[in-house]
Amino acid sequence: MADLGNIALWIAFLIGLWGAAVAFVGGLRGRAELAASAERAVFVVWGLLFVAALALIRSLITHDFSVEYVWQYTSRNLPLYYTVAAFYAGQKGSLLLWAIVVSTFGSVALIANRGKYRELMPYVAGIVLVVATFFIAVMIFASNPFERLAFMPPDGNGLNPQLQNPGMTIHPPMLYLGYTSITIPFAFAMGALISGKLDTGWIHAIRKWTILSWLFLSAGIVLGMWWAYVELGWGGYWAWDPVENASLLPWLTMSAFLHSVMIQEKRGMLKKWNMGLIVASFLLSIFGTFITRSGVISSVHAFAQGKVGYFFLVFLIVAAVFGFSMLSWRWTRLEAESKLESMVSREAAFLFNNLILIVIAFSVLWGTIFPILSEWVKGTKVTVGPPFFNQVNVPLGLLLLLLTGIGPLIAWRRASPANLKRQFLWPTAALLVTAVALLALRMSDGWAIAAYALGAFVVGTIVQEFVRGVGARHRLHGEALPLAFVRLVGRNRRRYGGYVVHLGIVMLFVGFGGLAFRKDTEATLKPGQAVEVRSPYGHTYRLVHQAVSQYEQLNRFVSAASMEVYRDGKFLGIMKSEKRQHLNSLGQPQFEPSTEVAIRSDIREDLYLVFAGSVQGTEEAVYRITINPLVWWVWYGGMVLVLGGLVSMWPGGGGPTAASRRRAEPAGYVATVSG
Amino acid sequence: MSAARAYRRTGAAECFVTVVRLCAPLLVALPLAAQNPPPSQDSVGRLWAPSMLQERAPTSARDDDSLVQALEHKIRCTCGCNLDVFTCRTTDFTCATSPAMHRLVLARLDSGKTPDQVIASFVTQYGESVLMQPPKKGFDLLAYVMPFVGLVIGLGIVGALMRRWIRSRPVESPPQPGVPEPHASSEDQERLKRELEKFGA
Repeated sequence: MADLGNIALWIAFLIGLWGAAVAFVGGLRGRAELAASAERAVFVVWGLLFVAALALIRSLITHDFSVEYVWQYTSRNLPLYYTVAAFYAGQKGSLLLWAIVVSTFGSVALIANRGKYRELMPYVAGIVLVVATFFIAVMIFASNPFERLAFMPPDGNGLNPQLQNPGMTIHPPMLYLGYTSITIPFAFAMGALISGKLDTGWIHAIRKWTILSWLFLSAGIVLGMWWAYVELGWGGYWAWDPVENASLLPWLTMSAFLHSVMIQEKRGMLKKWNMGLIVASFLLSIFGTFITRSGVISSVHAFAQGKVGYFFLVFLIVAAVFGFSMLSWRWTRLEAESKLESMVSREAAFLFNNLILIVIAFSVLWGTIFPILSEWVKGTKVTVGPPFFNQVNVPLGLLLLLLTGIGPLIAWRRASPANLKRQFLWPTAALLVTAVALLALRMSDGWAIAAYALGAFVVGTIVQEFVRGVGARHRLHGEALPLAFVRLVGRNRRRYGGYVVHLGIVMLFVGFGGLAFRKDTEATLKPGQAVEVRSPYGHTYRLVHQAVSQYEQLNRFVSAASMEVYRDGKFLGIMKSEKRQHLNSLGQPQFEPSTEVAIRSDIREDLYLVFAGSVQGTEEAVYRITINPLVWWVWYGGMVLVLGGLVSMWPGGGGPTAASRRRAEPAGYVATVSG
Repeated sequence: MSAARAYRRTGAAECFVTVVRLCAPLLVALPLAAQNPPPSQDSVGRLWAPSMLQERAPTSARDDDSLVQALEHKIRCTCGCNLDVFTCRTTDFTCATSPAMHRLVLARLDSGKTPDQVIASFVTQYGESVLMQPPKKGFDLLAYVMPFVGLVIGLGIVGALMRRWIRSRPVESPPQPGVPEPHASSEDQERLKRELEKFGA
């Protein structure tokens, strides 16, 4: 089967080369048959990659350890779903996943836009093929998942215990979906630039795609945080690791795009900027992979290094040069159709929102690459860790939160003083009341107070928008309030979906603010001994160490330490944290023992229990007990965020706005066709 | 409850614990013994397979000291894990470096050093990369300044652009809202084309 996969990769490579070449020739020379051939090539490449993927899955589940990849990441006693998930446990399989997802998205984009945007489509097919072929080439020439060992080992190496977690089975594919789906907007943008069809047509074509890839990125990032929290055991979910930063960068630029594109649709402004954001998002998604694979920056994720990094570096440079030179070539044709009317307008607020998002992206990128810069300039390495990123990004993040509240309050074009007063009154009141209340409650952290007060401001904005919208429908159409609510959202999905996303963002910030009140306690306890921990809310947790029990389970040997948990004297339950020593098929220990934390989560705070180890091989256990306020809000904020994104992109609910449609084409063109 | 069911012990350990539990009321009954509970190792059950998990040194109340924790959050563990000493020693239980660095922190505090001196001693020993964030001086100050310089430059550019756009507005006539324009989107055109073709055929 592995040979079949290898052959499929080679054929896909050759067809990809052919397709990419004829796509551009067909598009530039206007030869429809070549363009059609290129589009078919996308489908064929997809089919071949699908065959390759099946071949790899089959090799994995049949334990064909003569395949190096299968040997490296699985073993005979690995549970089936992790055996299948091992598909993307390593670099080689990840490349295959990436390639197949790009070609899948490319195929879907071609099918969804069949018969539309004829001038753009050859280039869309061409760009998709170039990207997919690049990934196939990396596999074939540098990192082949079907590479064979010279012999057949009796068993495999096994999967890293930290990857044996449900979060891990879904977080990487989700993130890959986000990264790869940016290829489609990029392909349309390039198509528009090359063909010169620079009306908002390409923007209409990618509206859903950009929300979709933003959604996948968001879900991938939040799932990654969740995995880090439940599995890595340090009690946090974001460590400003270079790879985490790399996933945040395209998310930030995509978030900027989703806002500024509204200005282009409504007012025909910011065309160059939007093009630039799409190009930048695509480059940053490749940059993320480059960082992960190249090992230029030390990171917990840098699991493989070597020549793959050079492939990505060259591709990154070529894509950047190509993207930006196309943009500068069409620069003069991307002039704005209308002008800004006032500094106090929705347009201006969106410009500032874009600015802040880009500055945050810059500061994250800057911090990520600063160790390299410092080494070049000073010759000594510095560490740029979480304290740096928090210090720089907390003020910027709060500024962004403020603009999240202000944006929807200001009218398009020009806001009048009366209008401003009407809009700002209640949200500002919410901000002040919250700030005063928190100060009265003696909250100690200034940044956290600012975050919660601004959060209240944004929530005030959102509630006001919903209340006024529902009220208007109720008065004008006489609809019952629930019906008015459903219709309001249903008929303006993008707008109200966007507000739901804002609500999710506020919930995330509520969670982030909780980090300021984290508390760690260590305790060494014999069975029956107890430790008391005070939470920031004033509760006293009493934890009684019960025992350590040891047993075998699946492919591991478990040592479980359990504690009775009481809050203010009331019994809450038993929490169990484990040490897992993974075993190979012969029952011998493999990898270092890993930790499974115990988490008791509610809306106020998480009790996070880590069994650190035993004292002299007895039941006397060392624990780390962490009280993590408001972590719940991060996970549910993530869900609300995704829900809002889904509402925004749900089919129906009105296509492009009338203003945007009007702008889609210069008037003369219609005249020539109809005349 | 599955958690409770999980407490299966092997024969020897189970017998031992049973004996200990049976003896417990006796201890309570003896006031003298209860007043001075002897913290002997023997009162704790031995694990069946101690090699299957990490061995840890008992922690002390000083490990929870907020000053010690704050200091250790600022110092990077040198084992190559990219974590600070506190996070490493309370997360990665295979690392021998971070507990050693923790003991160094305690020893240096005990020797009468101020927190700043403790940090400085680590910098002398390991170089600047031992700090979790770049020092705020010299070239490294750029790390902190640049994002805000970027913000100011960005604000300047956006402000200047907006002013120019607003000023130049009366010269160029903006599209009049409300006047229907004979524009059609690409989708409309495609439909038109198709229908014209159908018509023509």
